[in-house]
Amino acid sequence: MERGLFKPKSRVFIGYLALPVLWYVFVVVMPLILALKYSLYDWSGGPRMRFVGLSNYAELIKDTDFWLSFKNNVIITLLCIVGQIGIAFVLAALMTTRVLKFKEFHRTVIFLPVVLSAVVIGFIWTLIYNQQIGILNWVLRAIGLESLIKPWLDDPKIVIYSVSVPLIWQYIGFYLVILMASLQSIPKEIFEAAEIDGADGFKRTIYIILPLLADTLKVSVMLCIAGNMKVFDHIYVMTGGGPGKSSMVMAQYAYNNSFIMFKLGYGSTISVGILVLSLAIILLSRKLMGGKTQ
Amino acid sequence: MTLKRILSRIGALIINAFVMLLSLSCIFPIVWLIYSSLKTEKEFALNIAALPAHPTFENYINAIKTAKMHIYFFNSLFTTVVSVILIVLFSFVVGYFFARYRFAGRNFLYTMFLAGMLIPIHALLVPMFVEFKVLGLLDKRITLILPYVGLGLPMAIFLMENFIKDIPHEIEEAAYIDGATLTTTLFRIILPICKPIISTVVILSSLSSWNEFSFALVLIKSDALKTLPVGLTNFSSQYTVKYTQLMAAITIAILPVIVVYLIFNKRVIQGLVAGAVKG
Repeated sequence: MERGLFKPKSRVFIGYLALPVLWYVFVVVMPLILALKYSLYDWSGGPRMRFVGLSNYAELIKDTDFWLSFKNNVIITLLCIVGQIGIAFVLAALMTTRVLKFKEFHRTVIFLPVVLSAVVIGFIWTLIYNQQIGILNWVLRAIGLESLIKPWLDDPKIVIYSVSVPLIWQYIGFYLVILMASLQSIPKEIFEAAEIDGADGFKRTIYIILPLLADTLKVSVMLCIAGNMKVFDHIYVMTGGGPGKSSMVMAQYAYNNSFIMFKLGYGSTISVGILVLSLAIILLSRKLMGGKTQ
Repeated sequence: MTLKRILSRIGALIINAFVMLLSLSCIFPIVWLIYSSLKTEKEFALNIAALPAHPTFENYINAIKTAKMHIYFFNSLFTTVVSVILIVLFSFVVGYFFARYRFAGRNFLYTMFLAGMLIPIHALLVPMFVEFKVLGLLDKRITLILPYVGLGLPMAIFLMENFIKDIPHEIEEAAYIDGATLTTTLFRIILPICKPIISTVVILSSLSSWNEFSFALVLIKSDALKTLPVGLTNFSSQYTVKYTQLMAAITIAILPVIVVYLIFNKRVIQGLVAGAVKG
């Protein structure tokens, strides 16, 4: 590896690496350690900081609001896996056929929402869902489906689905492009052979494209889980977790506790909880999916 | 024409229509937002879907005058540009050392940086707020640059390291024989070779800095330092909601991103996917 290379002195190494490493330690490693520390205190930001041991964690385990938020994260994640990756998969399969026209246009346009900020997506959909001026209700009225008009973001029964739609919508293009990239690496002969053997579109998709994309689909599911465990911006803008707590997610709950109620100790405990739960779910799903193929 | 062929024609038509509908649903809300921002509030309330009869920039003038969107815009721009430059510089240097040398502590540092990709940022929000508060780093012009650079590093280092690994050693050997110092080799010889991966890192980190919300929400309090995403939320809570004005404000926030995307869409798509799949 270092054959014939200029071998710098260790102070050169330190000179180059010190700043980036310290920077990273300061904004990532230190806060992580501090989160563990604060999670053991009862503290509202003032000078009084009371050590309470693990009792914040005991509270967290019994905190039904936190588990409700976690459940909402899981629901959103499942909806997104089915919605985003499902739709993206069908589109990617269509992209390999000659049936679909304007492929370049579709790809460019469907990807567009990916580059916009979550806050903007949240605002756009708040406007779309709006009772009076929303384009959704306008469309429903225009096509004679007035009976379907709902207070989309104010009905606790449906709000979790209403907030999932923008999330799904924003990232279909992202998974589409990932799947298309890996389809492009599949040799064309495979598709041609299938055509000669008389496989129609549906069979081709199930028996050829699906298995070939298995690994990429797994990566996509992991990305989807990791992304949706930390969903915050969309929810903050659209509902703030409401009405009531019906669309509360973990990050919003941590935010409310820490910065609205100023329970910085307990907020840190929630943060550690999010970290542990996210990593656990990612590892668990990795194990489950890994097991299937072997 | 046989019945089978007619049926498959109809099938193809339906499929195309569906995909077209999906595509249009992705741009229509954005197009609607932009043209509605050119209407007056009255005209918009009369018919929310119609095109503006007399396009006016009044909403934009108000968005700048009363909602100070131009300040947020400048703050976003400043934070993004500085963060991106630092991320590129740091990740290039660190990536180079990781790719080329086995030094004491290399594996430890490598793992430490990579682990950063797994940490959900909300786990860092509260302690970083406290850390910054204690050190007096809240609400400064450099405040947001600190987390943006730190959090952008893991992915960028990873991409750089992967790229530099594949550059032939002979290039540096030749430079060494010619008497080039490490610094010269790094910045005069290796850096230009890394252009493609640098553009990926630039795309990834500028989008994430421009769009970032959580840290900006928590670490910045004064209006003069807020970035666009937080400025927008400010906008809708502080003033009685004037929809067309809000739309103008949103347009100001997204227009640069959309323009860049329309010009460089292939690069942007490639960059984002490279970041996600390799990471």
